[in-house]
Amino acid sequence: MTALGTPPPVTAPARGATVVGDGTTAAGRAARRWRAVRWWVVVLAAVALVVAVLAVTRPATSTTPYAPDNARPDGARAVARVLEDRGVDVRHVTTVDDAVQAATEGATLLVAPSPLLSAEQVDALAGVPADLVLLGADDLLLEAATDGAVRLGDTLDTSAGTLAPDCALPAARAAGDVRLTASLAAAPGAPDVVTCYPGSDGAALAAVADGGRTVTAVDDPSLVLNGTVLEAGNAALALHLLGAHERLVWLVPDPFDLSTGDGTGGAAPAGPTLPRWTGAVGLWAGLVVLVLAFWRGRRLGPLVAEELPVVVPAAEAARGRGRLYRRARARGHAAAGLRAAAATRIAARLGLPRSADPTGVVDAVVRASGRDPRDVAALLYGPPPPDDEALAELARRLDALDGDTAGRAGAARPTPGRPTPGRHTPGSEVPRS
Amino acid sequence: MALTWRAVALAAAGILPVLLFPVPGTVVVWALVVVAACSADALLAASPRRVALTRQVPASVRLGETARSELTAVNLAGRRLRAVVRDAWPPSLADGGTLVEAPDGARVAAASARVVPSARHSVDLPAGDGARLVTPLRPTRRGDRDAGPVTVRSLGPLRLAGRQATIPVPARLRVLPEFASRRHLPSRLARLREMDGRSAVQVRGEGTEFDSLREYVVGDDVRSIDWRATARRGDVVVRTWRPERDRRVLVVLDTGRTAATRIGTGADGTGAPRLEASVEAALLLSALADRAGDRVQVMAFDRQLRARVAGASGPRLLPSLADALAGVEPRLLETDWPGLVTQVRSHVAQRALVVLLTTLDPAAVETGLLTVVDQLTTTHQVLVAAVTDTEVAALRAGRGSAGAVYDAAAAARAELERDAVAGVLRRHGAEVVEALPDELAPAVADAYLALKAAGRL
Repeated sequence: MTALGTPPPVTAPARGATVVGDGTTAAGRAARRWRAVRWWVVVLAAVALVVAVLAVTRPATSTTPYAPDNARPDGARAVARVLEDRGVDVRHVTTVDDAVQAATEGATLLVAPSPLLSAEQVDALAGVPADLVLLGADDLLLEAATDGAVRLGDTLDTSAGTLAPDCALPAARAAGDVRLTASLAAAPGAPDVVTCYPGSDGAALAAVADGGRTVTAVDDPSLVLNGTVLEAGNAALALHLLGAHERLVWLVPDPFDLSTGDGTGGAAPAGPTLPRWTGAVGLWAGLVVLVLAFWRGRRLGPLVAEELPVVVPAAEAARGRGRLYRRARARGHAAAGLRAAAATRIAARLGLPRSADPTGVVDAVVRASGRDPRDVAALLYGPPPPDDEALAELARRLDALDGDTAGRAGAARPTPGRPTPGRHTPGSEVPRS
Repeated sequence: MALTWRAVALAAAGILPVLLFPVPGTVVVWALVVVAACSADALLAASPRRVALTRQVPASVRLGETARSELTAVNLAGRRLRAVVRDAWPPSLADGGTLVEAPDGARVAAASARVVPSARHSVDLPAGDGARLVTPLRPTRRGDRDAGPVTVRSLGPLRLAGRQATIPVPARLRVLPEFASRRHLPSRLARLREMDGRSAVQVRGEGTEFDSLREYVVGDDVRSIDWRATARRGDVVVRTWRPERDRRVLVVLDTGRTAATRIGTGADGTGAPRLEASVEAALLLSALADRAGDRVQVMAFDRQLRARVAGASGPRLLPSLADALAGVEPRLLETDWPGLVTQVRSHVAQRALVVLLTTLDPAAVETGLLTVVDQLTTTHQVLVAAVTDTEVAALRAGRGSAGAVYDAAAAARAELERDAVAGVLRRHGAEVVEALPDELAPAVADAYLALKAAGRL
């Protein structure tokens, strides 16, 4: 009996083959790894190459209008180069801070058109001790720099015309005719203002001697642009105006510049707020996290795969039907199912044939349980329950009837101890109420 | 290349120099120190590919019992091998860390071996030395299981870093069916002997054959007195009869899609496939029929023959049966019932008891089994054994809420439909047994005994 069902126990384990290494060599593994990563290496190298080429071949010029390193028609590199060749130290700045610092006495500060300057910035620029050359300045800047002596005319005519100097300014006299727009006007009663190149609506140039410095306003900023500088005497006028001193500060304001000339850098944080070792400790934490990732990232061998049996719960169909009953409130169908199952089981227990009609079943149940016939008939073959509570009550009463008949039938004639195999459903053994 | 927690600790120790010299350069220098130390340690480690690995496993193990995978590792590298060795096996074999030490023998045998609760072994071997690493296996599913590869992570002298190699070491463990129903066998064998002994008082009839003559004792049926022998002997002599022997029993397991459904509720909400109960029933019935002197054949079929055992008897039957059924898995195919009938006809010429271990799913039976059952019942006695679902039985008893009652009604309706299908099969001349998974095997055995007692084999 002991050997039944057990295979002969394998006493000595089967001796497997001895394996040394996985048949690879260091060179082979290196080649395999290289094959695995070579496409990535090629792609990364190509990207790096493209970036390097773009960085090298990028022209060293900007595209900012009026900038002294912009060679396009809206730049001013021609004038700046000529000035540098003549020994003028041209300094290109983009913030008001830098401009105020650089524009000391004995220098020239050129302010390119800058409509976005704030009142504080304008005041800072207007207060520098250096000579000022304002190109295309707006009312705010003009008024601050000249104390209101020069203002813009009311005209909207922006067409350029060839104008004669018609004044005693040495630069204008040397330059001769120029081709500029002219809309500047001197305020009435401002004696120190010299206006040149009068046009129909105003002058193209106005110079104000303000103590030890000169403020020169040119209405048309195209005076210095590469594209128009060669027209008429424009170039001569520009060189005369900008080359008056050894140093020229060329301000093309950055639209995002918020500095106001007091050296604080505008909205930049006012000094370091973090301890100075923060950067080093952060780097150290990054190093630890990197090592930690390498430690946890390398798995001790691959996962072992296993085919699992498919998951098909057999009770799904019954559950689905139950949900359909519930959603459709199909109490009639549900009750019919419960009643039919109970009747079938009781009939089988009482030895009735499958073909027994309702009357016969009720009679047999009444005999077995001693209940009222009308009660039994209503329970087994009555109308459908009106609501869910009635359905649950019906199920409980069917269980009770089942229990009654089982008890009476068992007491009446002892059944064999072993249930018939075909009818064994222990799940239906419910507590008797 | 693989790192250990010590490398992380080394990197973390860099906080001291960083706090002393809080500049980014310190971190860079420390990173170089870590990289150099780990690289040197990995270079100094013994090669994981110069380890001789031998895996020994038993050829087969019965489901529910434990087995041991013994891995012998011999260090062939010229250096000391400090390593972590993983003996990988599929998840259904992995012992969940609950190692049960064998009472006595296994422990003595493994005196020099180290047993760990997981598949990870830490070894420290001088050059040329070896170790036996024992991994406990506790199969939870039947079938053939191929071992995973062996991974060796060889660490350097500082155990900061190491080199790792994954080496395939082929091994296969066959997990045999559990045969939990063998506990029902003694009682059924007793009933079989009872039938044998009762034969003297049985009237001669269909299903019995002449056994022997013996003296009359009070209580014997007078109709079994052999008058001819009595006249010869002078004593009253009765004939004894015994159940017929050498009948043929063919057990057919349906491995089609209906065998794949999970019945009952397991720990993770899913039970075992329906086929497992069929396998149990087939094993118990085969053991019983073999003891009763009948010739047993077993087939597993869906659209083709998956396994077949024939011609084995006595002590060879169950091992070969367990071996053949170990690898049978349910397929997601519709069973080819006409093909199954052809198989039955080709393997059994005479009248036999054909036991079909399948399911009574009404839709599947109507389109499949019902169309061919007549061809079988004309020549054979057919017993259809079906596994019912524990979960449906639980639904059937639900009274807790309105929803539970609706579910119970649906389950009752399904039960009625199965009863109807069973009734149709009975009208076609087949016997039908329907039982819960745990009770199917004894129920089938009882049905077999009833048929044998009635002489209907």
